[in-house]
Amino acid sequence: MENKTAFIFPAFITEFTGKEIDFLRNNGLNPTKYLKIISETINIDFPDFTYKNDLFREELTSQLLAYTFSCTYYDVLKQKSIIPDFVAGYSMGVYASLYSSKSIKFETGAKLIFDAYHLLYELTKTGLYGMGAIIGLPYLDVQELIQTSSLSVEIINVNNEHSLVVAGLKKEINILLEKSKEEGALTAAELTVDTPYHSKYLSRFAIPFKTVLNKLEFDDPQVPIVSTYNQRLIFSAEDIKQELVFNLTEKISWHKTMQKLVELGVNDMYECGAGKDLKKISRFIKGDYKLRSAYKI
Amino acid sequence: MAQITESTRSEVKEIVLEFFAEECEVEVSEISEKSNIIGDLDGDSLMFLELIEIFKKKYSLNIELKTIGKYAVKNPVKTIGELIDMQMLIIEHENNILDL
Repeated sequence: MENKTAFIFPAFITEFTGKEIDFLRNNGLNPTKYLKIISETINIDFPDFTYKNDLFREELTSQLLAYTFSCTYYDVLKQKSIIPDFVAGYSMGVYASLYSSKSIKFETGAKLIFDAYHLLYELTKTGLYGMGAIIGLPYLDVQELIQTSSLSVEIINVNNEHSLVVAGLKKEINILLEKSKEEGALTAAELTVDTPYHSKYLSRFAIPFKTVLNKLEFDDPQVPIVSTYNQRLIFSAEDIKQELVFNLTEKISWHKTMQKLVELGVNDMYECGAGKDLKKISRFIKGDYKLRSAYKI
Repeated sequence: MAQITESTRSEVKEIVLEFFAEECEVEVSEISEKSNIIGDLDGDSLMFLELIEIFKKKYSLNIELKTIGKYAVKNPVKTIGELIDMQMLIIEHENNILDL
């Protein structure tokens, strides 16, 4: 079978490797320039990027920063004539995947992140909602814990067979995380977000978000995008809009998305973004593929 | 239950060091029993799980991951040396590790 390549895009940066800036500078790119474009597009005053600036840990700015690094990493790969056969974005990483498939301009992605965040802000600002990660317990065990404890928390993403993401009311998430630890989870930790992405609480935002999307310009993707919602291949601008609504308001499966890439014959994957979160998650996702951080090229 | 011999600890140590060297992209010589798994090596839970799978296969262990999780909550490990000691206990006691 012919070798196939996929670019995958993270949604967040848990931890920088510390090699990001050098990698980009050595390839003639400066993330600060990209951040300035974002500043002008959405009227946010970004300072110059430094690894230790806490501003970049806030929910909106961290998403914008992850998007910026993902797009700059993609630009490096493009400069080196490394072209993907497929792309996929983990959760909010979908926006960088659209940029890489030439469906949107860089500015449009920033605007999408900004608009989605503000649309959901009425939930976010309450401080009542959140997300959590559970590592080391099977899906069915966590589902049983939710049911037996009469919690309304949902498993909103399966990263791999040992790693799950949950969302819902913060106080219920904390109960679930405690019970998960008692049950033998190796890690059960709250995520630093106040928005219950991909949960039922976001269903009512589907139509307003579609309205936002209809005001922006999308082109048909030049590279097929794999849906994290149902793993279909996306070829049209109209389907992209539908996927963006699903990606915000419905459960996703990164595990199935990676499996789909493997089924499609992808054996070379590049993680386009700062940190190495997707590489870490790829443990326990079976397949004959090599996943490397883009800075390794 | 696996047979523990004098050479088992050195065998386990070699596997652990080589695993972390490869995963964390450092030389084996840069890792010691005092290395902090998170602080020095950027290790994570999934790495730990993968290592356990390696030992489960190598020593045909009968142990559930959540049993290890329950043990780890009460006996957290921070360094490579502590991790090697925990792996030894897992190999020796398998699912009975919680009775220790």
